[in-house]
Amino acid sequence: MEYVSPEGLRLDGRRPMEMRQIRAEIGAVAKADGSAVFEMGNTKVIAAVYGPREVQNRSQQMNDKALVRCEYSMANFSTGDRMRKPKGDRRSTEISLVIRQTMEACILTHLMPRSQIDIFVQVLQADGGTRSACINAATLALADAGIPLRDLVTSCSSGYLNSTPLLDLNYVEDSAGGPDVTVGFLPKLDKVTLLQMDSKLPIDIFENVMQLAIEGCKAVANYIREILLENTKQLEYRRGL
Amino acid sequence: MVGLSLGEKHFIQGGIAQDLRSDGRKRLTYRPICVETGFIPQANGSARVRMGATNVISSVKAELGKPSSLQPDKGKVTIYVDCSPTAEPMFEGRGGDELSMELSVALQRCLLGGKSGAGAGIDLSSLIVVEGKICWDLYIDCLVISSDGNLLDALGAAIKAALSNTGIPRVNVAVGASGDQQPEVDISDEEFLQFDTSNIPVIVTLTKAGRHYIVDATSEEESQMNSAVSISVNRKGHICGLTKRGGAGLDPSIILDMISVAKHVSDQLINKLDSEIAAAEADEDES
Repeated sequence: MEYVSPEGLRLDGRRPMEMRQIRAEIGAVAKADGSAVFEMGNTKVIAAVYGPREVQNRSQQMNDKALVRCEYSMANFSTGDRMRKPKGDRRSTEISLVIRQTMEACILTHLMPRSQIDIFVQVLQADGGTRSACINAATLALADAGIPLRDLVTSCSSGYLNSTPLLDLNYVEDSAGGPDVTVGFLPKLDKVTLLQMDSKLPIDIFENVMQLAIEGCKAVANYIREILLENTKQLEYRRGL
Repeated sequence: MVGLSLGEKHFIQGGIAQDLRSDGRKRLTYRPICVETGFIPQANGSARVRMGATNVISSVKAELGKPSSLQPDKGKVTIYVDCSPTAEPMFEGRGGDELSMELSVALQRCLLGGKSGAGAGIDLSSLIVVEGKICWDLYIDCLVISSDGNLLDALGAAIKAALSNTGIPRVNVAVGASGDQQPEVDISDEEFLQFDTSNIPVIVTLTKAGRHYIVDATSEEESQMNSAVSISVNRKGHICGLTKRGGAGLDPSIILDMISVAKHVSDQLINKLDSEIAAAEADEDES
């Protein structure tokens, strides 16, 4: 199948280096300490952060740093065909783990010993790149909760189809069988915290594809920064400062 | 769970007794309702309803199926509620299953009528395509995103909004299929049939705290309840379903009193909801 037309357009009309439209909103869950909705095209996820708070299960308490937990869940209606048993399958456990590790790497856990931070991400609509969207939503929610972070970790995926590196794959492109590189990136520190790829790719092309994903992460980071700034301005205004 | 001090409990109870609740509402006033339709474009119909800090999403997916042999002239509707851990850390893992189940069953009772499907708020016979052979199965999936009390009313409102947003594709049945054969069908991509939602009831939950009862309780107020009665009432003022929750017993005369109050309140709620749904649909058409 042709994923990039001779004119250089993808199935959804994007250019190879173009991202889907991203949109973010802070404070979707009023009762959580921090929350955010993040959309990348048709992919829509919601993240809520509870904490830092007392550790619920005493045996997990750590005396030198905070415990970070994460749960990823998909709504029944999130996929094209209705899902029947969404809870606790292998895929969501794996993604929970990936998100937890990525977020743990950027939270300054040593500042909050003997406490617990819960991150819950809920996929409302899945159209490829849920992993990236979840990480971006979680970052925003953590920032909204006022949890000290090393940097705003952002994520974006890229792939390689029809001999073209493509940024931010959607579901159709993702299931085409080509490589799918998901990168988590700390833009200020210029460090990669998450890197996943399936299927094979020559090393020189991989370099390009990864670089493309990193550029995507940087673009997301700029957007997230804008949203946070806007949110802070509004808070300032409401306080009458 | 809400942890309230003794003083806070007295404050809430005193407020209810004096008809001035902690957020300034009267006993029988709802929080402002905000409806947004077409929230999940992949579904046949969807809506998000917000009542204060309570936030729920409902989506409708239609699939072709076979009607059950006991009711060959009726389609099937399944309601399933899921409580997301974003709403409450307690719902993590399987923690939300119990509440999800309770809400699903209550909604089914309030909207779908008895086992025979008689008296259902949703008109099941409109879902039939070929009698005894093909019908639409509607899967109504609800998700609780954020919870601040009164989930059942919000879910009921979300389902009503999602159903009025639902377009069911027109089905053309190939003529000539005879006897026991499964007829061939052709699902149209362009023509959609709207669902008649005017008879879908709304759910009014009356929460009894102390000697009085209130509508649209927040989670703080719900923690003070001794019992609650959820009544679903349609536009004509008919009671379509009823559930009582909570431990304390109720005097039969109070229940009758509650029903008549619920009927009165539901009138305003239906009008409010209908105008919100119409506004949301107009908004969606514009964008």
